[in-house]
Amino acid sequence: MAEITVKFDDKVIERIVTEKKRISIGRTHDNDIVLENRGVSRKHAMIEFNDNAAVIIDNESLNGTFVNNRKISEEVLRDEDTITIGKYALIYHTQSTGGDEMAGLDGTMVLNTKKQKEMLERDKVERRIVEQHGGSVLTGEENCEFAEYRIDRDVITIGKAKFVHVKAKGFMLSGIQAKIVKEDCGYSLVNLGRKNKTSVNGELTERTMLKNGDLISVGKSTFKFVEGKD
Amino acid sequence: MKLALISDIHGNLEALRAVLSDIDKQDVDKIHCLGDIIGYGCNPTECLDLVAQSCDIILLGNHEYVALGLLEESAMNEVARQSTEWTCDHLSDSNLETIANLDLEASVENTYLVHACPYEPDQWHYMLRPEEAVVGFDNFIEQIGFFGHSHVPMIFTLYPQGTCSAKPGHDIDPDPDCRYLVNVGSVGQPRDLDPRSSYVIYDSESRDVRFHRVEYDIGLVQQKMTKANIHSMLVERLLVGR
Repeated sequence: MAEITVKFDDKVIERIVTEKKRISIGRTHDNDIVLENRGVSRKHAMIEFNDNAAVIIDNESLNGTFVNNRKISEEVLRDEDTITIGKYALIYHTQSTGGDEMAGLDGTMVLNTKKQKEMLERDKVERRIVEQHGGSVLTGEENCEFAEYRIDRDVITIGKAKFVHVKAKGFMLSGIQAKIVKEDCGYSLVNLGRKNKTSVNGELTERTMLKNGDLISVGKSTFKFVEGKD
Repeated sequence: MKLALISDIHGNLEALRAVLSDIDKQDVDKIHCLGDIIGYGCNPTECLDLVAQSCDIILLGNHEYVALGLLEESAMNEVARQSTEWTCDHLSDSNLETIANLDLEASVENTYLVHACPYEPDQWHYMLRPEEAVVGFDNFIEQIGFFGHSHVPMIFTLYPQGTCSAKPGHDIDPDPDCRYLVNVGSVGQPRDLDPRSSYVIYDSESRDVRFHRVEYDIGLVQQKMTKANIHSMLVERLLVGR
């Protein structure tokens, strides 16, 4: 009997063993596997089980279905394949693992569930923010003058000059320290001023394509990039 | 305090050197630069370095703004776009760091300084007519403002009853009841049919504004620009000053 292990943020949150011939995956609760994340379409994909094979079919979802990091529309699954949908990873096993990854770790599981709830809650908040603003947003995390800043133009300047769009704090920071630029397929962060003052998720950068949830630090100020549909 | 105000150098090192040496003879306390140090000419790096050494306040011009990638190149005409590309290829990391630290406007010695227009300084509006200057006057509080951008030395006067006049650049002894916006002209690419470099000296005690014009070796600059493969239109305009 086949098994699907669902992971969120690298933690196992669900193990599904099924005898159904077809299971649906999506954001709404009428799916067999419910993935509550705004990167997931309502009816995102389905897996069909034949005698000895399983086939995953993407349901023309907005953000796509990936198997082993390759975007697919229809794909035969092999043992241990990783299906990525939104922030979730689904591992396909031809045989039930018996829940090895979950076994014997009841305490941890409780913690994980709590953590997952927090993550889902955070995701819901982010979804509300981008829906409210109608596009991508920076949220102020540390040493910021705003809670939410809508990225409403092609170039946003960040620094300590009076005229920049987003003020940042910090010693020896340049007037215009960095910019966020709209590209064909998203936004990138570019360092403009003094070196070693701009980082993404703790790593110094000169230029980085931004992903949803990235933490941008300019000097002592930190912002989170929350991607919307621009 | 005697202030020299220079603007729109545009990578013309010979013109900048000639102006600085002329200023040297005028017993000036400080030099302020109103931006557009780079663009068009063939010595952007050298001009940035020399301005950084010589000037007290240095403002951001639209050409520096473009070099930082903050203005769409598609908004420029073909000659300006080519010249921007050439300039950006020749700027060092430390040049860009210098530019990233410039300000858009400044207030000093009871005067206001900006590159283009006191209204939305980062939108680079031109002030060529009195109706445009009136909007400018609404956006700073000092009696006198100095700017550049159009490369044409000019004076806008705002009279107490609210009327505004525009005149070509000329020396003034300001009337205490009037306000002024003074375009100091361009060091590196004058466009008022006088090819000599233009700059202004302002005396903060007497409040006198004096225009200065300086000759430089235009032929040498044109030779260097042609050698650097810079568009002929930009080379030729230096000799006629337009």
